[in-house]
Amino acid sequence: MPNTVTIDWYIALSAILFTIGALGVLLRRNILILFMSVELMLNSANLLFVAFARYRGVLDGQVLVFFVITVAAAEVAVGLALIVAIFRTKHSTNIDDINLLKG
Amino acid sequence: MNLFALAPLLLLLPAAGFLFNALIGGRFFESSRKTGERWSGWLATSMVIGAFLVAVALFVSLLTNDFHLEIVPLMTWIDIPSAGFLVDWAIQVDTLSVTMMLVVTGVGALIHIYAIGYMHGDPDFNRFFAYFNLFILFMLVLVSGNSYLMMFVGWEGVGLCSYLLISFWWDRLDKNGVPANANAGRKAMVVNRIGDFGVILAMILLFWTFGTLNYEPIFTHAVEFFEANRMVEFGAFQASLPTVLTAVTALFLLGVAGKSAQIPLYVWLPDAMAGPTPVSALIHAATMVTAGVYLLVRSNVLYEIVRTSGAQLLGLISTPDLVAYVGAFTALLAGLIAFSQNDIKKVLAYSTISQLGFMVAAAGMGAYVAAMFHLITHAFFKALLFMGSGSVIHGMEHGYHHVMHGHEGDHHDDDFDPQDMRTMGGLRNRMRTTYIVYMVGALALAGVFPLAGFWSKDEILLHAQTHELPILILLAIAAFATAFYVGRQLLMVFFREPRSEAAAHAEESPALMTRPLIVLAVLTVLGGFLNIPYFTAAAAERFHLHPHSIWLMLEAWEEHSIHSFELLEESVLGLPKTPVVFSPVVAGMSMFLALLGLGVAWLIYRNKPETAEDPDPLQRTPIWWFGVLPLNTLYMKGLVPTFNRFAEWLAFPVEWGFWHDFVHERLIRDSFVTASEFTANVIDQQGVDGLVNGTASLTKRIAGGLRLTETGYARTYALGVFLGTVALLVYFLMAAN
Repeated sequence: MPNTVTIDWYIALSAILFTIGALGVLLRRNILILFMSVELMLNSANLLFVAFARYRGVLDGQVLVFFVITVAAAEVAVGLALIVAIFRTKHSTNIDDINLLKG
Repeated sequence: MNLFALAPLLLLLPAAGFLFNALIGGRFFESSRKTGERWSGWLATSMVIGAFLVAVALFVSLLTNDFHLEIVPLMTWIDIPSAGFLVDWAIQVDTLSVTMMLVVTGVGALIHIYAIGYMHGDPDFNRFFAYFNLFILFMLVLVSGNSYLMMFVGWEGVGLCSYLLISFWWDRLDKNGVPANANAGRKAMVVNRIGDFGVILAMILLFWTFGTLNYEPIFTHAVEFFEANRMVEFGAFQASLPTVLTAVTALFLLGVAGKSAQIPLYVWLPDAMAGPTPVSALIHAATMVTAGVYLLVRSNVLYEIVRTSGAQLLGLISTPDLVAYVGAFTALLAGLIAFSQNDIKKVLAYSTISQLGFMVAAAGMGAYVAAMFHLITHAFFKALLFMGSGSVIHGMEHGYHHVMHGHEGDHHDDDFDPQDMRTMGGLRNRMRTTYIVYMVGALALAGVFPLAGFWSKDEILLHAQTHELPILILLAIAAFATAFYVGRQLLMVFFREPRSEAAAHAEESPALMTRPLIVLAVLTVLGGFLNIPYFTAAAAERFHLHPHSIWLMLEAWEEHSIHSFELLEESVLGLPKTPVVFSPVVAGMSMFLALLGLGVAWLIYRNKPETAEDPDPLQRTPIWWFGVLPLNTLYMKGLVPTFNRFAEWLAFPVEWGFWHDFVHERLIRDSFVTASEFTANVIDQQGVDGLVNGTASLTKRIAGGLRLTETGYARTYALGVFLGTVALLVYFLMAAN
C-alpha cells in the first residue's frame, strides 16, 4: 500500500508541528518549554526536508537534516548552559522575569 | 619728469600734521614747554613745507607734461548707481589748481614759521597748530578736488577751521563781559551758511542738468548743450541752458559773497580779526577768502556761456556783470570804510575785502588771469601786512609790559589796546625790520611801481578800461581810497612821535617772526614779474603768449586751465579778452591815484592826531560815516533775528514737531517697535521657538509611543521575528508569482 500517504500529509504535519512550536514559543512562560518548542520547530523543518528528499528521490534534504541535528545539538548545549546560568541568578524559569530590555 | 603720483602726499602730509598735533602733540609739553613748542610747531610747519615741495613737484610735472591736466584718483566717495550719482575723490592737477596749491602751501609755510614765534607761550600752542594744519588740509582739498562736491568739502572744511581759529581764544571776554571772540567765530559761521546755501543749490542744479559734478565733464557738456541749444527738463517745465546757468552762477555768487566777503555778506570778515594774527594773515587774507575767486575762475565756462547767450538774471543784468559790479562796489565801499578804522588789523581787514572786490570784479569782467594774478600778489603783500601788523602788536605789548614793569602798579591801564593805531606812532625807529617790510607791503597794496600790487591791479584796471568803463571808475576811486588808508596807517603807526609809553618802548619781534616777513617782502617786490605785459604792440605780435618768454608768464600758464580762452578762439564763446599790451594811460592814472592818495593822507595826517585821545581829522566829514554804515546793524538787527526765527521754525515746528515727533516717533520709531515686537513675539517666540520646541515634543511623544513596544518580554521579540519572517515570506512568495 505504497504512496497512500502523499506529500501533502507530510507538509500538513510539518505545518502543524511548526505552528505548535511557534505558539509554544509565543505563549508559554517556562523557559524550558520554550526551548522544547524551538526544537519542535526545527524538527518540523527536518521532517519537511526528509519528506521532500524522499518525494524527489534525491539525498540533499537527508544530508541537510544531519547538519540541522548537529547545529541543534550545539544550540541545545549553549542554550541549556544559558538557562542554568539564568536560573542560578534569577531562581526562576519564568521567561517574563527576564525583562531587562523593557523600554 | 612725471611726479603726478606724489599728489596724494599733498593731502596726507597736512593730515598727518593735524593728527599729530591733535592726538599726541600735547604729550610733548609735559616735559617742558620748549620741547613741546619745538615739536608741535616745527612738525606742523615741516608738513606744510613738505606739501609745498609736493606742489612744486606737481608744477614741474605739469611743465614737462605740456601743461596738460592730470587727474590723480584717490578713492570712490559716493556711488549710487540707481541715481547715476558717482563722486570720485580725485586730485585734479592743472595749472589753476597748482597755482592755488603753491600759494596756499608757500605762503602757508611762511605763516606757520611766523606763528611759531607769534604763538610762543600760548597755553594752547598745539591746538593752534592742529587747527592750522587742518586748515591747510581742507584748503588743499578745496583747490585740488576734481568736482564741485569735493571743492565744497574743502569749502566747508576751511569754514570750520576759520570758525575754530577766529574763536581760538573763545574764553576771552571784552570790556563789557561779552565773549567777543566766540561771537565773531559764530558770526563768520552763520554768514557763511547763507553763502553755502547758494553753493548747495547751484550744485543740485548742476547735477540735475549734467548728471555729474565733475568739473571737466560739466564744462564739456555745458558747451555741447549750449551749441545744440538744448533745453533742460524740470518735470513739467523746461528751461534753456543759459537760464539754468544764470541761476547756477547767481547762486555761486552768493557763495562767493559769503566766503570772499563781498557785499552783502562781508560783515563777518572785520570781526574775524579777533583770531590770532597768523590766522588773519593765512585764512582771512591770503588763502581761504580767495576760495570764492577760485570758484569764479574755475567756473569761467559757465559764466562765459551766460555772458555769450545774453541771458539776464530777472531780466535785469547778466550774472557776470552782476559779479563785476558786486566786486567793484565792494572794493569801493570797503576801501572807504577803512578810512575810519583805528584798529590796525581792522584797516587791513577792510582792505582785504576791498582787494577781494578787485579780484571778484576782474573775474566778473572775464579777466580771469588778472584775478588770479591779483590773488597771488595779494596773498604775498597782505600776508606780509598782516604779519607785519602782528609784529607791531607784539612789539606794542612788549613795550607795554616794559612800562608796566617799570612802574609797578602805578597807573595800571586795563584798557590798553595794542592794536589801536592812535596809541602808536614813531615805530620806525623802534622796529626797524618790521618798518621796512611793512613799507614794502603797504606800497604794494597802494599800487606803487614796480611792486607786485601795481602790476596786478593795473591789469584789472586795464581790462576795465578796455571793456567796462563804469567798473573802471569804481575801481579807480577804490584804488585812490586804498592809497589813502595805507598812507594814513603808515603815518599813524610808523611815523611821527610815539603817542603812548608803550609805543615809545616797543621792541622788535624775534627773528622767527621777522624772517618770514623778509621772504614775503622779497616776493612782494618780485611778484609782479609773474605777469608783465608787453610794452608795445609789436612785441606782443612777436612773442604772442610764447610759453617760455618772460612776458605774461602767468597768462601763458593759466590759460591751459581756463577753457573759455580756447572756446573764444573757436568762436564758441565771446568773452572780453584782456589786452596784453601795457597801457601808459592806465598805468599813469593808477600811479597818479596811488601817489595822490598817499599825498592826501600825508596832508591830513602829517601832524594830527597829536595825542592818542585827539579826534581823527576826518571825524567830522561825511566820509567818516562809511565806517559806521548801518550794514553791520542791518546784519545784527535784520539778518540775525530773521535767521534765528527761521532756525527756530526749522528747529521746533519742523524739526521737533514734524520731523522728530511725527516722522521719527510716530512713523519710524513706532513702526519699528511694532515690527520688532512682531518679530520678537510672533515670529521668534511662536514661529522659531515653536518649531524648535515642537520638534522636541514631537520626538518625545513618538518616543513615548515607541517605547511601549519595548516590553522586555522575549516573546514580544519572538513575535516580531515571527511576523517579520511571515511578512518576508509573503513578500517573496508574492514576488515569485
